[in-house]
Amino acid sequence: MKKIALYFLLFILFAVCVYPFLFLGESFSFENGHFDWAIYKRAFSSAMTLRSFNNTIIVCGSTVILSTLLSLPLAWLFTRTDIPGKGIWRTIFCLPYAIPPFIGAIAWIYLANPSNGILLPIFPWLNIYSMTGLIFVMTVFFYTYILINLLTAMEKIDPSLEEAARISGAGSLQVFFRITLPLVTPSLISGMLLAFLSAIASFGIPALIGNAAGITLMTTQIVLFQKMASYTGLKLSGILSLSLLALALVVFILDYLISRRFRFSLVTGKVARPSLTELGDKKKWAILFLTLLAIVLFILPVGAILYAALSRVQGEHALANMGLQNFHNIFLKTDETWRAVKNSFILALGAGVLCTFFGYFLSQSGKSVSKPVNKIKEAFIAIPYAVPGTVLSLALILTTLSLKLPLYNTLGIILLAYFAKFLNFSYRIVNDGISQVDQSLIDAAHVAGAGSFQVFWRIWIPILRPFLMASFFLVFMPAFSELTMTVLLTGPGNESIGTLIFQMQEYGDASGGGAAVLAFFVLLVIIGMNLILKLATKGKYGL
Amino acid sequence: MSAVEFKNVSKSYQDNLILKNISFKINDGEFVSFLGPSGCGKTTSLRLVAGLEKNTSGEIHIGDELISQPEKNLFVPTKDRRLGMVFQSYAIWPHMNIFENVAFPLRMAKKPEDEIRKSVEEVLKLVELGGLSARMPDTLSGGQQQRVALARGLVARPRVLLLDEPLSNLDAKLREKMRKDIREIQQHFKMTCIYVTHDQVEAFSMSDRIMIMEKGNILQFGTPQDIRANPANEFVRNFIS
Repeated sequence: MKKIALYFLLFILFAVCVYPFLFLGESFSFENGHFDWAIYKRAFSSAMTLRSFNNTIIVCGSTVILSTLLSLPLAWLFTRTDIPGKGIWRTIFCLPYAIPPFIGAIAWIYLANPSNGILLPIFPWLNIYSMTGLIFVMTVFFYTYILINLLTAMEKIDPSLEEAARISGAGSLQVFFRITLPLVTPSLISGMLLAFLSAIASFGIPALIGNAAGITLMTTQIVLFQKMASYTGLKLSGILSLSLLALALVVFILDYLISRRFRFSLVTGKVARPSLTELGDKKKWAILFLTLLAIVLFILPVGAILYAALSRVQGEHALANMGLQNFHNIFLKTDETWRAVKNSFILALGAGVLCTFFGYFLSQSGKSVSKPVNKIKEAFIAIPYAVPGTVLSLALILTTLSLKLPLYNTLGIILLAYFAKFLNFSYRIVNDGISQVDQSLIDAAHVAGAGSFQVFWRIWIPILRPFLMASFFLVFMPAFSELTMTVLLTGPGNESIGTLIFQMQEYGDASGGGAAVLAFFVLLVIIGMNLILKLATKGKYGL
Repeated sequence: MSAVEFKNVSKSYQDNLILKNISFKINDGEFVSFLGPSGCGKTTSLRLVAGLEKNTSGEIHIGDELISQPEKNLFVPTKDRRLGMVFQSYAIWPHMNIFENVAFPLRMAKKPEDEIRKSVEEVLKLVELGGLSARMPDTLSGGQQQRVALARGLVARPRVLLLDEPLSNLDAKLREKMRKDIREIQQHFKMTCIYVTHDQVEAFSMSDRIMIMEKGNILQFGTPQDIRANPANEFVRNFIS
């Protein structure tokens, strides 16, 4: 019985998480049963394809380098110095991780677009529609991947490793560069690769800022090809997808190899606080540095969104121009708004429940199967997580169309995409929880006369509650504002908040402030949920 | 080598008084153990000497130098105290080979390369690790790693060698040999040593004098014979028997 259930689970995983990519590869590479060299030749000799590949490498590579330079001093300040208010600083600087990047892009367009950017009167040379602008906005979002990895690693180091260096005569900077940094290098590289992976897969920022600047990346080129709606266009977008997939795969394998190559045991037996460098006179400079950075990274963008949402006429800077007119228009006079909010809510709720449910049973099944089967299961779960969202959507469209499943242009296919993409979060969190539960707790319940269902209901669920909640929230939040996948899967009547904001910003009413109103709404929801999650899990999850 | 002296030293975390106004003097070249149950303040005292913690009040001297006196806002940072320390967890840096681990204090002191090479090989021979200098730490046994830590503590001829429960992670047989070896090396250099332990056998077999502590106070400070013959109170009598 257990075995059958497990294989059924594996079958579902294969169908949703693996098959679509095999199908994608097969259908684009073969024509009438022969490998289609011609289309590959055409794709790779096309100037557009090559330029998008080059741009992706340049933009994402620079983003990762700048992100590293930004994250290292932050991680040091937050874990190794006596700077006051560490908790609040950390939350502020990690928060962009939870905010959808396209909202940041919109904020920076309000702030620094070359025609009526809010900052132009002070800095007239600003132009967000440029290579520098694109890299800048990417950096202020994707640095969080590196920062979060670094913070975790730096907290795990046995403090006596650093104390031994201090006894040996090393000053704070020498300790950092000779001991701490080498020890966290594996985590740093892993964070850099993760940031690179997310950057090459991102769509919102490249579409909103890159397109306007005439800089096409692979993801935006795929969507452009796909929008051509011709057979060749579809083929070209498919082949570019496969190339992006290959690039992502290379990065993923690299990360795997590196994390295996360097594995120092850093974890200490006893809980000890690292000794903190006293900043002394330099403390006020550090606080000034953090404050300025927080203004640029956080306060200015959020302020810009609020400002634009309140501006009756965009670009007119006067107090009389402020009002709730836009809110009124968007929430009371636009039917699409409520449809989009409803759709996003249903999708996020559905994905959160579905992922948590499957995450639980997939983790539990790990106990009753052999190691190789478990490895295969985990690989299946990880694949859609690693695959760029654009590619995932394209594969799902093709698969459902060819299997004649009545899913195309429904919420169902969007839900399927979210499920595949975010299942990895749920699985890892719930698995972490389950592995912390001692088997004797379960045995004791059985001895006391509880059946399987009672053990599930009275023991597992209450013990795992914080993990299940974290799993739900951590799927709900990104799903609620998802754009990259949804933009390809949506159809008339199926818009989500993400696609509605995107459409308003991209095509329609840039002057009406509608995008800003909705972006502000999404920000409130996400920051609020983050707070609930942090309180409900006593700070273990949430930023 | 140097003497170490505490004058009316207190240490508290928030409202928690860890060390209660203690004073003592360790003579130049002496081997002293801080002995007591966990939470008695022995490790805190050691970390105050090292400068890894700051005392809340009182004076700490190493040799002729006043190294900490909060009342005068005086505090010499750890890196400038010229000490050696052996940690309970060994604290061998996993990304450096044995040679680089041991050479680190000399590199920080900007010694010339040939002198570094000579000193490191010498001290490695002394701790019976000659020929292993190119190995990485994860290829060594726990006992060998402990010897690397000892070599690193000795290599720069520190004013005082601090040892924080260095043998507690070793098995009984190895522990006995290390006890003898550490004592021999200490006598060889006539080095001031402070040895923190909760194991009274260790303390009694190695030390010139023993300082017995409980709840942030010094109960008794004397030679092993002294303490055996005249335990200061009931607690000491029970603790050493």
